[in-house]
Amino acid sequence: MPRVNTVLGPIPAEELGLVAVHEHIGYGMPGSELDTKWWKTPEQRYDETVPKLRRFHEYGGGTFVDATGICNGRDIDYYQSLSEKTGVHIVASTGFVGGDTALPFFARASVEYLAEHFIHEITVGIGDTGGKAGIIKVGVSRGGRMTDLDKRIYRAAARASKATGVGILTHLAIDAENAIAIFNEEGLPLDRVLFGHVDDGVNADKTRDTWIAEQGGRIGFDTFGYETELPDPPFWARPRKERLDHFLRFISGEGRIKQVLASADANCSPLGWPGVKGHTVNYIFEDLIPDLRAAGLDETAIKTIFVDNPADFLSIKN
Amino acid sequence: MDAQTAENTVNTVLGPVPAQELGVVAVHEALLSVVPGAEYAFDVTIDRAEIFETLAEKLKDFRGHGGGTIVDSTGMFHGRDVRLYEALSRTTGVHIVASTGQGPEEMLGGYFLTPQTNPPTPWPAEKFADLFTKEVTEGMVVPRVERRGAAGLVVTAATLAGMTATDESLFRGAARAALSTGVPVSIRFGNDAVRDLEVILDEKLPADRVVVGGLDRKDAVAVGAPLEVARRGAYVAIDHVGTEDERHLGDKERVALVAQLVEAGFGERILLSSSATGVAKGHDGNDMPYSYVLSTFAPLLKAQGLSDEDVQRILVDNPRELLSVR
Ligand SMILES: [Zn+2]
Repeated sequence: MPRVNTVLGPIPAEELGLVAVHEHIGYGMPGSELDTKWWKTPEQRYDETVPKLRRFHEYGGGTFVDATGICNGRDIDYYQSLSEKTGVHIVASTGFVGGDTALPFFARASVEYLAEHFIHEITVGIGDTGGKAGIIKVGVSRGGRMTDLDKRIYRAAARASKATGVGILTHLAIDAENAIAIFNEEGLPLDRVLFGHVDDGVNADKTRDTWIAEQGGRIGFDTFGYETELPDPPFWARPRKERLDHFLRFISGEGRIKQVLASADANCSPLGWPGVKGHTVNYIFEDLIPDLRAAGLDETAIKTIFVDNPADFLSIKN
Repeated sequence: MDAQTAENTVNTVLGPVPAQELGVVAVHEALLSVVPGAEYAFDVTIDRAEIFETLAEKLKDFRGHGGGTIVDSTGMFHGRDVRLYEALSRTTGVHIVASTGQGPEEMLGGYFLTPQTNPPTPWPAEKFADLFTKEVTEGMVVPRVERRGAAGLVVTAATLAGMTATDESLFRGAARAALSTGVPVSIRFGNDAVRDLEVILDEKLPADRVVVGGLDRKDAVAVGAPLEVARRGAYVAIDHVGTEDERHLGDKERVALVAQLVEAGFGERILLSSSATGVAKGHDGNDMPYSYVLSTFAPLLKAQGLSDEDVQRILVDNPRELLSVR
């Protein structure tokens, strides 16, 4: 039976339910922990996080995939307590959001070492928490092109994915030719890769989403809710209708609805940045699914996007 | 010793200590030295009890050889564990001065290099100055938990291939933090010791508040950097004492360099240390004992003809003056 690694142990894929496939309990750039300006008490962190997860659960959310990389404030025993107390399954990542978030120890490491590290976190556990990673995070550094370090991380991720059967989730899908070349060289089927943030306001124009889909990759429209309509939108925001139209246009292509995943990339309680007021994982229930229904999607289509596709993607394939 | 000197204090992890109590100081050492990120590595174990035991042993050895104060010059992001150092200092009686600062650029977290802004502009000097200053005025951070005692100095380093723009921001930020708080700055240069020192001096920090480390590097000695740094009025740290490798002078040549500096009238600008790594994680470190300068190198200096007074000045008086908060 297909199984998925959550922070509290493996669960059957059938139990995932509705999945928010790219989210963050709390994200901070490495080094932000040194700047007291962002510090929060544990009381405050739980206070900002628990109600959002509880609401997610009440709305019918089953699983929260935390896409926070190794050096970005990933905090497994905290996730374990959140999951245990709220009933939301939490899937954690190994890997890095991008080369520019990998600290020197990993930035200097070989592909072989990085792969070994990822495999360890997937098969043995993360630190001494016992929690195992359920996906591998990789990404493109700031600047628009994959750096050498980004490429080493992608290659190591491909090897770890092949060795363990867990999927890869990317931060940004720009420069996808380079990414796909690496995955092909390593012999990784592209349906094990979710190319994320194709809908990002900064990069959507440069992202070849249909081409990636033609190669067999999965496509993540996973920054839903970062809208220019917000009172204080971040620089990667995009007009709401423009993103929705982009999504609808994409899934209108033959068979593409089977390749698409959607999420909000929200922070429950950001760690090293102010976050975006009013944007939470529950955008999925409060705005996105109603918008999709209004656009004519039926319940089967919604189940495909939020339940079936993520279950297939997150299932350990080996 | 004038009245001013008598009242001077030094920031240790257990609080301000009268400067005269420091005794023999090792100005450039590492207690726990962790390459940033290694703490997350699957094959790196950080057993604090074991680390404590190892470091306590080494500090007792240092004290046994007449050592009084260890300066952990690894900065704020290379394994610094302030609570562990407090316990070590209480247990061993060795004063521990911990540092703020970071560098070179390669050792920084992405927060400082590619912040979540568009474009991702690296941190300017002023922000580093603020970060480092608060570690002196408000206390050193235990990340995301609390602040502890005041940092006793600001350390930074330039990229070996040459100072980068972000390195320069770090240097200027370190200099400004020193200027506003009264603690000294300790730098490790990139490919030009004098030019890197000039960046600090350009911030109007008096030269006698600066120590330039790594001046027993062959490339620095080849261009006469130790003498030139002393001429500018900064402290000259010969701080790989005991290391015998490609990049550095051997101890014999170090003795000659010290003698040369004393002869040139710069006896009050010399500092000695070993850059020992008490416990290293994520890199090899070295097996150097903190006591090496006292046990092995000081006798070599005396054999070379340095007076007891000269040696006392180098090991006790000079670091005391440097570390005294102004
Ligand atoms: Zn994300």
